[in-house]
Amino acid sequence: MTTDLIARPDPQSVAELVQKLCGDYGERAVTSQSVREHHSHGEGLADSALPDVVVFPHSNDEVAAIVRLCHLARVPVIAFGVGTSLEGHVAALYGGVCMDLSQMNRVLDINPQDLDCRVQAGVTREQLNAELKGTGLFFPIDPGANATIGGMAATRASGTNAVRYGTMRENVLGLTVVAADGRIVKTGGRARKSSAGYDLTRLFVGAEGTLGVITEIQLRLYGVPEAIAAAVCQFPDLASAVNTVIAAMQTGIPVARIELLDDVQMDACIRYSKLEGFAAKPTLFFEFHGSPAGVREQSEAMQAISDEFGGSAYQWATQAEDRTRLWKARHAAYYAALALKPGAMGFATDACVPISRLADCILETKIDIEKSGLVAPIVGHVGDGNFHLVVLFDPNDADQRERAEGLAKAVSLRAIAMGGTCTGEHGIGWHKLDVLSQEHGEAVDLMRAVKRALDPFNIMNPGKTVPL
Amino acid sequence: MLNPALLAALGNILPATSILTASEDTRPYECDGLTLFREEPNAVLLPESEAQVVAILKLCHAARLPVVARGAGTGLSGGALPDRNGVILSLAKFMRILAIDPLSRTATVQPGVRNLAISEAAAAYGLFYAPDPSSQIACTIGGNVAENSGGVHCLKYGLTVHNVRRVRAVLITGEVVEFGSEALDSPGYDLLALVCGSEGLLAVITEVTVKLTPKPQAARCVLAAFDDVTSAGAAVAAIIGAGIIPAGLEMMDRLTISAVEPFVHAGYPQDAAAILLCEADGTPEEVAEEVAVVNRLMAQSGATLIEVSRDEKQRERFWSGRKAAFPAAGRISPDYYCMDGTIPRRALAAVLQRIAELSEQFGLPCMNVFHAGDGNLHPLILYDANRPGDAAKTQAFGAKILELCIDVGGTITGEHGVGVEKIGDMCVQFAPVELERFHGVKRAFDAEGLLNPGKAVPTLHRCAEMGRMHVHRGALPHPELPRF
Repeated sequence: MTTDLIARPDPQSVAELVQKLCGDYGERAVTSQSVREHHSHGEGLADSALPDVVVFPHSNDEVAAIVRLCHLARVPVIAFGVGTSLEGHVAALYGGVCMDLSQMNRVLDINPQDLDCRVQAGVTREQLNAELKGTGLFFPIDPGANATIGGMAATRASGTNAVRYGTMRENVLGLTVVAADGRIVKTGGRARKSSAGYDLTRLFVGAEGTLGVITEIQLRLYGVPEAIAAAVCQFPDLASAVNTVIAAMQTGIPVARIELLDDVQMDACIRYSKLEGFAAKPTLFFEFHGSPAGVREQSEAMQAISDEFGGSAYQWATQAEDRTRLWKARHAAYYAALALKPGAMGFATDACVPISRLADCILETKIDIEKSGLVAPIVGHVGDGNFHLVVLFDPNDADQRERAEGLAKAVSLRAIAMGGTCTGEHGIGWHKLDVLSQEHGEAVDLMRAVKRALDPFNIMNPGKTVPL
Repeated sequence: MLNPALLAALGNILPATSILTASEDTRPYECDGLTLFREEPNAVLLPESEAQVVAILKLCHAARLPVVARGAGTGLSGGALPDRNGVILSLAKFMRILAIDPLSRTATVQPGVRNLAISEAAAAYGLFYAPDPSSQIACTIGGNVAENSGGVHCLKYGLTVHNVRRVRAVLITGEVVEFGSEALDSPGYDLLALVCGSEGLLAVITEVTVKLTPKPQAARCVLAAFDDVTSAGAAVAAIIGAGIIPAGLEMMDRLTISAVEPFVHAGYPQDAAAILLCEADGTPEEVAEEVAVVNRLMAQSGATLIEVSRDEKQRERFWSGRKAAFPAAGRISPDYYCMDGTIPRRALAAVLQRIAELSEQFGLPCMNVFHAGDGNLHPLILYDANRPGDAAKTQAFGAKILELCIDVGGTITGEHGVGVEKIGDMCVQFAPVELERFHGVKRAFDAEGLLNPGKAVPTLHRCAEMGRMHVHRGALPHPELPRF
């Protein structure tokens, strides 16, 4: 029950297991270097660790059979969606079996009357919304990347419209999970509320594959709003933009998205996404959902607030194409930031603080950035108190890397000191293992105990999420 | 009786007035809102600081003494029923509201603060605490977290688990742990969600930070009557299917209407087979728009009468009937038994039809009153405990209803919890593989099983049928409370 046990899975057992899987799954069990390489890392920092074999299961039963074999052989098993996670979640630190769920990609059931659906873990967010076209429903959670629903559930993803629709925590109604012993567990269900038993659904959501492999997800859906309008407002300084957000949240305007880009990030986006008619100033992107009258009311209330803080007149995007272009630019922020310094790498920080501390947190961070002499644009889902820095550094310059790490660390510690967290939505993976203890103290012992209770041999994505 | 050494050790932690052992003092703690089960506690402890809770739990842990935490005792599933060998740990003295942060829209309170008291304190900032169990004037926030309580408003605003940011609690070993955080997300496993609805089996809550919601500027209620239950069910489906999430969406059947109307004169049409109450809240324009859509959908689904509340007074009158449904049942029947199942909304009409058939079959009337919007049923089986065989028939009828809920993909308890009441039914809803995970979680928190033993999660050996909420001659615990 120690990490040692898993750190050195018996090479003989691994070899036998790989052979067995290749026999059982034929072309769907792959050991080629390139495929293992592809499954050795997510996005973000390229710290890779190769699995011994990649298997592509097609059903719950196949996943269960594979996990069962891993359980018997005490070999790690790592679930993989499309590899868009940012904190090294899918790196096979101790080798083992990577289970690529991308071929389990069927939408199983759509129930317009109950506003829910059931999907296999490999269905991507965009695929689901494409299949929902014509039903008048949509699935709102949008982390930017076209991630799989299984991966989004496992990492408790949120995104630009969490301020209105919540995160995966609020939108997963039930799961089918293959537990560490290879048995199939069903949690939650179709019913909207239940007070029976512990909330295993939310326990598996965000567990990053360390307690079991999510194979099916029951999701909450929403009616496509009658009217949608997006707007952009620019501010003379960062404080005014942040204070506008705080005032909006306090008033309770049900904004669907409210995103902050600082002057540096705006400059990057203007160049990268060829946005026209904007200045490189602190900027808020808004989106309003509702009935036509509701959208009008919300946007009028919002404009009144931003006027108070010296915001510019709103530039509207009411046509779907214009909106798409705008949000595409927002979602490309990470790549736009990287393009500011060709050849540079970037740390994405992920601080999240209570709204009442947001202004302090961002403004103090901005001063840190200036002091560091680095380029680090700020972008964030500020309605949730969540913002990111992309700290750029030259990977060949040890001093720059050190300063970049120092800056990222300072942001994390500040967020924690302000009653917040260093990981609003990207999760822990293994990059952030060390800060978990700082944030959670005694609770980490409990997390460890839960991990041991549900995965006694530590074969489920070992080395991630909870320090053992 | 507790052994004298233990009692003396407790005396070093608490003043004598905070340790109740005399029968006349402990008797009020022998049951909660589920009066069918009673057990006089050995001792009732009334700490007032977290340090005292820590010391008590350490002592109990060392002595292997079971501990049952208790709030206001309004629970409906026996979650606070004393353990024969243990003590009751009452959090009643934890009554302070510690902070309200209008900017972050949160309130930090002690667990013994009443649900409604939070909304009252937040009202000065135009905010309120959304989950509103019917016992909200008496029930405490600590109990709400333990039971993951709902209420009429949870359709739109979520259950307790959606409205709690942070919980501070003490483990049976005496360690103080914080779950969640003041920020919107918190990394690692979602232990906060585990604690919500854990029915006092995982930890003793000492502080809670809840999310506050801005008070809507306006609210109006639509009353619609139907000639048959199926059309009313169809109207519910149409409203939700149109993407509307009303602030409340409640349904009552003919028997309920006929019990309620002579009692409170809510203005319900007595000839209707079912009525729906649908509340819209928001800005005046939003409310007007939503009411218009709801009216149209009600009419399309075959409503025979539609009335929209003109003012606050009428809105409250519409709701008064719904709130009086339980006491009204007590007026027309010597006994009733309240169920609490949840089903997927689309199964509503079929389930109601089946309940009607079962009612016929068992020869017992059943009032149907429920949170239709989220499919949470509260069937009230009417019976007479003095008529031989009635009680047994009622239990059998009730069990059938719960099985029916599970059959259509629902659950045996929407919001009242499992407690001792439904521990047998847990075996119907969950397979051994799931129960084993529950036990794994429990072991991680409380390896010796000292916190609230025998509740909520049955052992694998024990899957026996247990009793249910029994209300004799309307002698409901806390009769002063409006019930949903």
